[in-house]
Amino acid sequence: MANRNFQRRSILDPAVADLLAGMENKQAEARLPRREREKKAKERAKIRARRDQRVTYDLPPQLKQAVFDLAESLSLPASQLVTLALHRFMEAYTSGQIDISKYKKPSKSPRYDWKLEFPPEWWQNS
Amino acid sequence: MFIMALANQKGGVGKTTTAVTLASGFSLHLKNTLLIDLDPQGHIAFSFGVEKTPGLYRWLVMDEPLEEVVQNVRPGLDILSSDKRTESVKRHITLMDFRETLLFDRLRNSYYDVILLDMAPSLDVLHINGLIASDWVLIPTRPDAMAVDGVKEILLTMGEITQRGHQFAGYSILPTFFDRTTRETVTQFQDIVHAFGSKVLPPIPQDTRVRESAAYGKTLWEYSPNSPAMIGYQDGKNQVGGYKQIVDRLLEVIDG
Repeated sequence: MANRNFQRRSILDPAVADLLAGMENKQAEARLPRREREKKAKERAKIRARRDQRVTYDLPPQLKQAVFDLAESLSLPASQLVTLALHRFMEAYTSGQIDISKYKKPSKSPRYDWKLEFPPEWWQNS
Repeated sequence: MFIMALANQKGGVGKTTTAVTLASGFSLHLKNTLLIDLDPQGHIAFSFGVEKTPGLYRWLVMDEPLEEVVQNVRPGLDILSSDKRTESVKRHITLMDFRETLLFDRLRNSYYDVILLDMAPSLDVLHINGLIASDWVLIPTRPDAMAVDGVKEILLTMGEITQRGHQFAGYSILPTFFDRTTRETVTQFQDIVHAFGSKVLPPIPQDTRVRESAAYGKTLWEYSPNSPAMIGYQDGKNQVGGYKQIVDRLLEVIDG
């Protein structure tokens, strides 16, 4: 029996494959009943509208879990909780209430001069 | 040195625009580039805003040195232009011995990094010369049935040339005049991709600024560097297609 774990290779230029997939999706969508087409268009518009709000940051897994747990317990979207936390941080930072210099260490990264090193006990209790 | 022919036996598929834009792109990437116009219409010179000259005629028929007949049109970019006397070049070549390898022999010791050959939409002795001189053939095609038939014809001709002992390093198909909102474009594009697979490059969107740039005698890099024909489509966070992406893809081929 053939091994199903192998991954099929794409022989197309990745840009061509993406474009073709997008066009084929649109074509398939055009064949749907009107109500479903409208629903898909609404979903797309919603995703497009959210595009400017989306961001990806790396967080320690414990902090990520803590945000998730708090959001669940308060029955709030985690994004709004993080927005509140970051807003408060930015206010505190610009008014000089937060000093990040004690966490600053030189970085070996070619892109950054500095990195922040946090005390490990922060994550042990969270 | 890397020689690339732009060929499709169907006219009006964007060969000259593609040749002008790619040649400018390669020279902007610091490749010493020569663009040879093998089409008697002489539109290469027109596209750069200079006078047509019988450069090809003087080089191949009058035997003048290449460096004396080329025109420098931009930094790092020379053109060898054509005019109606290119028709006499064909008659002249037809009478010669080893007539099909004339361009190959003449270009063999050239000092350019990249040479682009803009071919006429015909199948004559100059066309065969261009193909035999080439390492790579770029086939622009509109997404319509007749232009796609032109692709097939070029590939058949390349097959015949290969049988006579010439080895091409490869070829690519470049969809041009691409309008993803029309059903016919989608259908033809699907057919091209299913038939030619990895040989198909990301497409060049239909863009009226291409015509405008020719009217001003400017390249797209100068006239409208951020137009759809240059930067392609926005697909999520990525750009798909457009001449800038094609230059990058072909530089990978040129640099091996």
